[in-house]
Amino acid sequence: MNTPYAITLNIHRYDPEAKRNWIQAYRLEAGGMLRFTDVLRKINQEQDPGLAWTSSCEHAQCGSCSAVVNGKPLLLCELLVQDAVDFFETTSFVLKPLSIAPVLRDLIVDLAQAYERVHQARPYLIDPAGPPAEGDELRIPPKVMDHYVEATRCINCFCCAQACISSHRNFLGPNAMLANIVRLFDPKEQAQTERLDILSASSGLARCHTARACSFVCPKEIDVAHFMARGKEGRFS
Amino acid sequence: MTPAIRVHELVKKDVLIIGAGGAGLRTAVQILSRRPETSIAAVTKVSSPQKSHTTTAQGGVAAVDPKDRIDRPEYHMFDTWKGSDCSADQNVIKTIVDSAWEQILWLDAHGLHFTRNEEGRFSKRTFGGHTLHFGGPSAFRALFEADRTGKGIMDTVWAESLKNKVRFFNQSLATELLFKDERCIGAVIFEARTGTFTMVLAKATLISTGGLGQVFKITTNCRQNTGDGLALALRQGLPVMDLEAVQFHPTGIVGPGILASEALRGEGGILLNKDQEPFMERYAPKMKDLAPRDLVSRSIENEIREGRGAVHPEHNLPHVWLDIRHLSEYVHKVKLPEITGFFSKFIGIDPKVDLCPVRPTVHYQMGGVPVNAVGEVQQDAQRIVPGLFAVGESACASFHGFNRLATNSLLELFTMGKCVGDRIADFLQEAPDPGDTARQAPEQTAAQFSGYLQAKGSENLWTIREAMRSVMTEKCGVFRKESTILEAIEDLKELRERAAHVRLKSSSLLMNQELVDRFELDNLLDVALTLAEGALARKESRGAHSREDYPERSDAFQYHTLAFLQDNGAVRLGKRPIDMSLFREGGEHAGHFDLLERKY
Repeated sequence: MNTPYAITLNIHRYDPEAKRNWIQAYRLEAGGMLRFTDVLRKINQEQDPGLAWTSSCEHAQCGSCSAVVNGKPLLLCELLVQDAVDFFETTSFVLKPLSIAPVLRDLIVDLAQAYERVHQARPYLIDPAGPPAEGDELRIPPKVMDHYVEATRCINCFCCAQACISSHRNFLGPNAMLANIVRLFDPKEQAQTERLDILSASSGLARCHTARACSFVCPKEIDVAHFMARGKEGRFS
Repeated sequence: MTPAIRVHELVKKDVLIIGAGGAGLRTAVQILSRRPETSIAAVTKVSSPQKSHTTTAQGGVAAVDPKDRIDRPEYHMFDTWKGSDCSADQNVIKTIVDSAWEQILWLDAHGLHFTRNEEGRFSKRTFGGHTLHFGGPSAFRALFEADRTGKGIMDTVWAESLKNKVRFFNQSLATELLFKDERCIGAVIFEARTGTFTMVLAKATLISTGGLGQVFKITTNCRQNTGDGLALALRQGLPVMDLEAVQFHPTGIVGPGILASEALRGEGGILLNKDQEPFMERYAPKMKDLAPRDLVSRSIENEIREGRGAVHPEHNLPHVWLDIRHLSEYVHKVKLPEITGFFSKFIGIDPKVDLCPVRPTVHYQMGGVPVNAVGEVQQDAQRIVPGLFAVGESACASFHGFNRLATNSLLELFTMGKCVGDRIADFLQEAPDPGDTARQAPEQTAAQFSGYLQAKGSENLWTIREAMRSVMTEKCGVFRKESTILEAIEDLKELRERAAHVRLKSSSLLMNQELVDRFELDNLLDVALTLAEGALARKESRGAHSREDYPERSDAFQYHTLAFLQDNGAVRLGKRPIDMSLFREGGEHAGHFDLLERKY
């Protein structure tokens, strides 16, 4: 077992009953291979069972544990202590909840409105093309799918929306745009006009400043900005 | 001052779905396709149904294409029956396998991005236990979306539910099933987000809460898989079935236990011990690394026990190696990018260059709330509970018997989802209105939650949760025997006592995560105890239930276990027969559906 790190987590806390904000420092020893979710669980067990945070799959497949660590939006479950120390070059970390959604308690936010922006991008097939014949699948050459399958890996963790320099108040957000752009590429979608309307609405791609922050922070390493650029070009094949 | 537990709102719906994962939402969409006017509420503990555990399933979904000239549905039925250690219900096997292809096409037509081959048709890969010609060569039967098939299914049914206006209660949990004259009429919902209790009255209520993986220390299951639906049923005096049948996936990534899909072996990955010997050749000479999961998990544990395991320096855990270095760049980068990424992200190795450390991890519950072949919950082997349905991993029909084949779980969740949706749609035509129960404090929820908020003592709930997980892993794990199971039962009873002395830091109801965790702890402990009692009574080895003191399968136990948890913590056991209709109905292939010896 390698020597554990002595780390400090400065966590932005919020008590909804008292409507009180404060920063609380937790000092502890943690092995390098621990995920930040493991570290928070350790704090719940050893120091403060009242510290509220959330997670689900804990291996970067669901996007439930997004937070901002030392200024960077990321998934707490895929941040190992050792990697955090190397990347941020410190053993002291500031943990904040996402600011694109209202805080419910400590690191837990209410994603209802944020998800509503994804819903507005209509992540389903609006007008499905249907199969060529009964019992058969629509033929889609892998080369066609190569243009967009990468974007289907999005888990709506909202890290890109957090990093985006456009405000979520007037932009549906990079992840919502991605959901729409996937279906513009997808040969199964026939509702091209409705899709282009979402893209060109005042809450659409015109709000993107091509800062590429989305690509920089995406935990799934999707080149989100590439898809934004394709959307602006209007080239979907 | 602790807040009074009272119902803040009364909501009436046609259907209430508890657990909005792949199975629950596939059911919802089916009901709406049959009866678009149906009002449906769906409850999930996560912040959006898209984040459900279904989304983590990787490898694929088995389905025989009727146009396939080599593969046949009968082969898939045989593999499922043999894989189950002759403990699955054959009527359920037939229903699911026969509807598989139609449901694959449904998913594709509704937007799932199945991986295509060069001709633009579905790609297929092989998985453990799937064969041609009743035990012959490996069958290429599994369709997939790269290594995120579950995510594809979840995204599809979630999006379809949005399109069809299902009402979601996110960050919420069901605390109590409601009954009127033996009929289920809905449930009490605690919206953790707002700290309020809602009574949802419904003509039909569906349990689809997923599995119980968090009962064990190392698991692929998400944090929310705490057996909630099972506990809800148990607290109403309803039985659960075959909980002792827990699947250990052979290849969890050492440390966190994250799943490294069987697809890695399907694509050619090989298990090695510390001497670099491909040891599966000794245990399953024919199928080797692609033998069913229970067999591979036991083989790995055996290698470790006999001193042929390696030890991970950082996590200090024994393990074996999975060698995928020889797989092509295309497999690493395109076909299985998420999984190969997990190895580098979570344990800092490059699977193109390094051997991957893996060991068995709890993956799936074969058992669940007993249901018939159309998802109606049973109160014993003969009678159903009107108005109550269950589907997915939380239900047990039973398609998997005592060991599930790879790719059969995703198949079950949407084929049974469709089937149960059809049944509920029919049921709604004649279902009586649940009435207008007055707004009042539902007794059970009020007692339970007031108890949590008022408890005094110095116990920490995470300490108890971790202790339970260790007990279950060490004493009721891959291998079990009477003495260790008895110890586990004693330990669990003690932990139940201790749980009463957990004092919560905050007595607020508003997004009190500790309160949610406390509720889950009771569910976990109830489910763990019921599981252990089932394991104790089954004095044989069958599928994933492996008793060291009774290493053989016994015809005396050729039945499903029904387990009822009583208020005093005692567990009463019953039986349900195993359906063998494919065998009994005779015909050309009937001999393959008899009680078979299980060798690979």
